[in-house]
Amino acid sequence: MASAFLIEGLHKSFGALHAVNDVSLDIEAGQVHSLIGPNGAGKTTLFNCITGFLQPDAGKVFLKGRDVTDLPSHKLVKEGIVRTFQITQVFGELSARENVELAARSREGLNFDFFRRASACREAREDAEESLEVVGLIEKAHLRPEELGHGDKRVLEVAIGLALNPEVLLLDEPTAGMSRTETERIARLVREIADRTSVLLVEHDTEVVLSISDKITVMTQGRVIAQGPPEQISRDPQVQDAYLGAVEVGED
Amino acid sequence: MAASPEVENLTPEASRARSREVATRVLLAGSALLVLAVPFLGASPFFITLLTEALIFGIWAMSLDLLVGYTGLVSFGHAASFGFATYAAGIFAMNISADFFLSTIVAILAAAAVAFLTGLVVTRLSGIAFAILTLCICQVLFQISVVWRSFTGGLDGLIGVPLPTLFGREVEPGEELYLLTAATLIVCYLLLRRVVESPFGKTLLAIRANEDRAAAIGIDVRRHKLVILVISWMTGGVAGTLFVFLKAGANPMSLYWIESGNILAITILGGIGTLFGPIIGAIGFIFIRDQVTTMYRAWQFSFGLAFVLAVLFMPSGIAGIAERIWRRLWPARS
Repeated sequence: MASAFLIEGLHKSFGALHAVNDVSLDIEAGQVHSLIGPNGAGKTTLFNCITGFLQPDAGKVFLKGRDVTDLPSHKLVKEGIVRTFQITQVFGELSARENVELAARSREGLNFDFFRRASACREAREDAEESLEVVGLIEKAHLRPEELGHGDKRVLEVAIGLALNPEVLLLDEPTAGMSRTETERIARLVREIADRTSVLLVEHDTEVVLSISDKITVMTQGRVIAQGPPEQISRDPQVQDAYLGAVEVGED
Repeated sequence: MAASPEVENLTPEASRARSREVATRVLLAGSALLVLAVPFLGASPFFITLLTEALIFGIWAMSLDLLVGYTGLVSFGHAASFGFATYAAGIFAMNISADFFLSTIVAILAAAAVAFLTGLVVTRLSGIAFAILTLCICQVLFQISVVWRSFTGGLDGLIGVPLPTLFGREVEPGEELYLLTAATLIVCYLLLRRVVESPFGKTLLAIRANEDRAAAIGIDVRRHKLVILVISWMTGGVAGTLFVFLKAGANPMSLYWIESGNILAITILGGIGTLFGPIIGAIGFIFIRDQVTTMYRAWQFSFGLAFVLAVLFMPSGIAGIAERIWRRLWPARS
């Protein structure tokens, strides 16, 4: 399969700390690629470098063969590299629907449209509804984020991401702080949306990662220590040492 | 208004919201008519002149609301937009033409140019840094207006700006200038309402809430800030033009930092993010200042005190309280 998204030799240091050290990833179209590793492994820094929130010191990012390393975040979104945040950051005073519509209008290039009413942008409204439908939030679309449960808020982030019609969607710990059932819901959702977009997933829940990923990259201290399909990763002794520890990772 | 085809299948809640919206429009149209009718209701010339100044401040405060209320950019140098335009329009009117439209266009373009150039730098910033840098820019313009005597008249300012002409006819001071101001205010309000309800306006809200998040949905934050800064200055420029014709002159004090503070306080007191509130704030400010300055000299103190109390006890301003009452009259739930 063609690689949709390619990261080559990415470096980022803060002073003497090599937060991201020579990281390369290859994400194939329509796949779920997970990034795991203990806290401080450099996963979020890598996310920030890929999405233009930080400038990498070295390395390249390619989307479908095009070098997009130096583009600012908003342009990367237009190219199809879309992220969610580790801490939920939806727009608090807008309803769930308006949050998604904002993204849909942005994708349709209406950000500089002065002369229409925002509420009259029909196409954006339909796109937003479709996204909300996919993630199963359509019934709660009129609620404001504060009225949504924690799980629904994270799901709303995913809906916003989908409305931007990404080539690759980067999800930063979408199950953080979730109950078991909510986690399973997100896991199912991530698997489902892989039909529409490639996914790069940062996740702590090893069980989730092993069950839904096509490929896994393990990072510690800024470096990639293993990369491969789930069955290979779960057997890798180095990974067990560094990260999985005593956790049972056998497949049922 | 074109009736939307989905009217029939509205939920009761949505239809109540719709009836409130209609009521709001009626209220706004009524206020607009009232403002236009003031000269015909037997108001004194003094009152008319004071209200003219209040409405000019209203236009100016609306322009600041675009930055503070809608984009979350607290400018502490917004006197610059207004004061700069008083000079641009004044010098143009004294030397070339006192045509109201031409003078306004000149002032708008001049304000837009300054906003664009300074915006290239200030839009990189937000928060305190933005406030301080806008303050500095305003003080620089103030200094220029004081020092460049041959052009600006120094501390005396511009004296003897002619009355504006409209379609070749001179606009009389008093009622006619009032009506011109009121009409301009209404046009500005409608245009800006349009802007804040457009997709562009909604992206501003996203920027106000969280710049990083806005960038992450593909919004070019800097460009949006630059555009709204230019629109804000252009609107402030309209206010400055009217002001220079009202006062028949321009003065460096229009560029002084205290004026920036006043207009910021007016906007916040009136209620940011509403466009309407700042107009109310401006009317209140001008009339209270007029009353209180004749009574005692420390009026700035009472204004400051009122401001502190307002920020503590009614953070959403006069408009916030008015809106709460309005919502009670037209409840969303029965």
